[in-house]
Amino acid sequence: MGLTLLVTGALAPVVPRGLRAAIALQAAGIALLGTGGALVLFGAPCFGAGFRSGLDPGLGVDGLTGFFLATLALVAVPAAIYARGYLAGLPRSRALVGLFGLFLLALVGVVMARDPSSFLACWELITLVPAAAILVRRSDADVRHAVFVYLAVTHLGGAGVWICVLALAHYGAMSEPAVLAAQGAGAQALIIVAAIVGFGTKAGLMPLHSWLPRAHPVAPSHVSALMSGVMIKVALYGLIRVLFEWAAPAPLWAGLVVLGLGLLSALAGVLYALSQQDLKRLLAFSSIENVGIVALGLGASILFASQGEGTWAAIAFAAALLHILNHAVFKALLFLVAGAFERAVGSLELDRIGGLLPRMPWTGGAFLVGSMAIAGVPPLNGFASEWLTLQALIHVALDPSPGLGLAGALATAGLAATAALAVFCFVKVVGLVLLGTPRRAAVEAAVEAPAGIWAAPVFLAGCCIALGAAPGLLVPSLIKLAPQPQSLTAEPGLSIPGTGSLPSPWLLVGLLALTGVLWRLRGSRRAAPTPAWACGRRIEPSLSWSSAGFTKPLRLVLESVLRPRREIEAVRHRGRLQSIRYRGEVPHLFDTLLYGPVQRGALASALVARRLQSGSVRAYAAYLLALLLALLVLARIGAIG
Amino acid sequence: MSAFAGAIQILGGLVLAPLLPGTIQALKARLQGRRGPSPLQPYRELRRLWGKTLVDPQPTTVVYRLAPCLVVAAMILALFLVPIGGLSPDWPLGNDAIVLVGLLALARFALAAAGWDTGSGFALMGSSRDLTLSVFAEALLVLALILAAAPAGSTDLVAMSAAASGSAIWGEPAHWCAGAAFALVLLVETGRQPIDNPDTHLELTMIHEGPLLEYAGRDLALLEWSAAARHWIFLLVAAELYLPHWGGFGVQLACLLTGVAVLCAALAFTETAQAKMRILRAPALLTGGSLLALVGLISRLVG
Repeated sequence: MGLTLLVTGALAPVVPRGLRAAIALQAAGIALLGTGGALVLFGAPCFGAGFRSGLDPGLGVDGLTGFFLATLALVAVPAAIYARGYLAGLPRSRALVGLFGLFLLALVGVVMARDPSSFLACWELITLVPAAAILVRRSDADVRHAVFVYLAVTHLGGAGVWICVLALAHYGAMSEPAVLAAQGAGAQALIIVAAIVGFGTKAGLMPLHSWLPRAHPVAPSHVSALMSGVMIKVALYGLIRVLFEWAAPAPLWAGLVVLGLGLLSALAGVLYALSQQDLKRLLAFSSIENVGIVALGLGASILFASQGEGTWAAIAFAAALLHILNHAVFKALLFLVAGAFERAVGSLELDRIGGLLPRMPWTGGAFLVGSMAIAGVPPLNGFASEWLTLQALIHVALDPSPGLGLAGALATAGLAATAALAVFCFVKVVGLVLLGTPRRAAVEAAVEAPAGIWAAPVFLAGCCIALGAAPGLLVPSLIKLAPQPQSLTAEPGLSIPGTGSLPSPWLLVGLLALTGVLWRLRGSRRAAPTPAWACGRRIEPSLSWSSAGFTKPLRLVLESVLRPRREIEAVRHRGRLQSIRYRGEVPHLFDTLLYGPVQRGALASALVARRLQSGSVRAYAAYLLALLLALLVLARIGAIG
Repeated sequence: MSAFAGAIQILGGLVLAPLLPGTIQALKARLQGRRGPSPLQPYRELRRLWGKTLVDPQPTTVVYRLAPCLVVAAMILALFLVPIGGLSPDWPLGNDAIVLVGLLALARFALAAAGWDTGSGFALMGSSRDLTLSVFAEALLVLALILAAAPAGSTDLVAMSAAASGSAIWGEPAHWCAGAAFALVLLVETGRQPIDNPDTHLELTMIHEGPLLEYAGRDLALLEWSAAARHWIFLLVAAELYLPHWGGFGVQLACLLTGVAVLCAALAFTETAQAKMRILRAPALLTGGSLLALVGLISRLVG
């Protein structure tokens, strides 16, 4: 039913003037699917086909699929509503609406697919459709390059997904996970490594993330919201299926690898987010950070399972899922608001915005809530899932085996540092974008976006608060999805043995009540208006603090890691200083140190390969002969049968 | 008993917190051969500020005006989490150590956002330094908490306090490492030398004073109280988790009082003996503390 609506919605833009109806159909379809998914998640029986390894296509919904469908709907419905306002008046909106519908279909397809062929088909579509959506919107050289990198990296890495899924289908492990155990550790290791590379690339796990900060910022905002909010989560869905179902039980080393990659992504993601100059690019890097946090939870779950600690394995698993949902909500919110800001003020260069909160109170307020949520401060939803992940990691650190204990302690310290860096990063964003004085004329004149645009972010901000207040209503259902399901009573807060409990509703109530009381105590006595103190000078917008200035202490402390570059050029004329030009940046070391050599190597080997292609028929005949001879020799010595 | 502990938690926290920085200042003055202000000086300051007019730097939004209330609200909630003498009544807020860390992060966020709202360079300078140090301090704090949580198997502060009581725990090197690591956290979070200098208002050196610079009147009084509450919370946690204590509630309470007094004296002594270090060198010190905590953890795992 929902699927039909969604299909119609995706096809409807073909009809001229059917755009609004098409968007409504898409929203209704995905909402229906999401409701169905949520019902299955909360205990309704699974429906549709079960997993099969053959070629006959099948669709089905079980608990995990239901969770991802619900997450998708929670983001896609607001995004669709937002798109109605956002696309009004933009060129080529018809194509964008169609592609949005197709993108939704592909995402639904991946999580509902029950056989290898439809899984792989939908998997390719979720890579290709956003690329098309980006190019429909803009196609200048920069964007074309970004799309090229995106397609190249995701396809090279995506080969891992093909290897993994086809190998699983070959062994018949998708329908019958037990057969893989009979194949020995080699086959399982191959599948797990292929899955980590393939799904990890698409999820943006470092060091395979190179495409993400390029592709996400250039997409239209509602597509960015889906890409950051859901698409990379769908890749995590694949990883979860492989690690916890098809190739389960995953060995200890897989847990350590996932934990390590997660730690790297979380720390490096937020460090690079801190030094970005563009809001959307910053948000893209912060997605990498959050995928890292999810991976930390998944890795911890594998480690617990390999130690036979079923309870904590399930809790860590639920922590990862909860963070997937929470990140989908607040990252979609932030991307949608970024789009609204872009409409209102043009460029999203962080140092040149400022003062949007009083000018755009609804979008600005939603942005403030979203930033606090992603910074992981109580009582919002980001804190709830980070708290749960941190608790899981602390209990890894309490594990009696020395190696695991040390790994857990390092991961816990890393996650704590990540959380502090996220506060640093998003307080900077809030300050530069929402607070202070406007830094250019366009910002000064900004007005609130129409209600069709701010409604979606405000709804998502409400979700951030609700999920932060009552994560405990959801976590018991998530714990049941773990390979070794556990039961937990559903109550709004989280009281888990081995922790001091997170009474999130009371935190929210307490903070609100106390702040209210103190606000009354503070009194409404008239305050003396005065300019802020700057040693007697007025604070001018051109002299106001920049992103680079605010993060300077950290950049100096981590100089050996980040290796920032700066150039100062003083132009003098007859001994008098005319102007000073300053340029500073934090180069992306993964690009220069890792991808650069790979790229140069690939180009060099392409040159060598080109020499082989002389264009002469005789040469090609010689190649054929050589190949034939080689095959014959191989057959003779028995290397190929 | 636990009702009594609850009363000390809240009323003691609200009323006695300013006594701690006052005592430290008074002790410090004595150690430096000055007469110095009375330990009650912070109360006089608060009373004076409470009667003064507010100041409203232009242009600011509601974020600036709400920040002091939010910071104090977070601190008051944090008071509920910390047990007194190993006891805490069954508040609906639980006693989780990580929630405590989260509430402190909320306070930090609110204050830094208020700094951006004024656009004042001093506020931003202070909070950018504070946030930089917090990256290292939070990692160190969590490691120290892991070491304290290990004997209890839980991050519940009441259970952690119970597991740290008695004398057997002092046979473990891990506990000594944890105490040393937490001492560093204490220096950062209370903003004392050698990390920060609470006496200075010289913009080039200050950290925690910076974001308070624009505030006046009751707002400033609230923020000054929250700085005192920060002392109270961290000294209590230090005494409950990392200093010797044993026996029933009465003995525990006596141990707690002694512990807090000793820590105040130790802070005053450190401030007298130790010059402020360069801000950029502080992270190295904190990383050293983290390594120490890891050594403690290893000793526990292999021992």
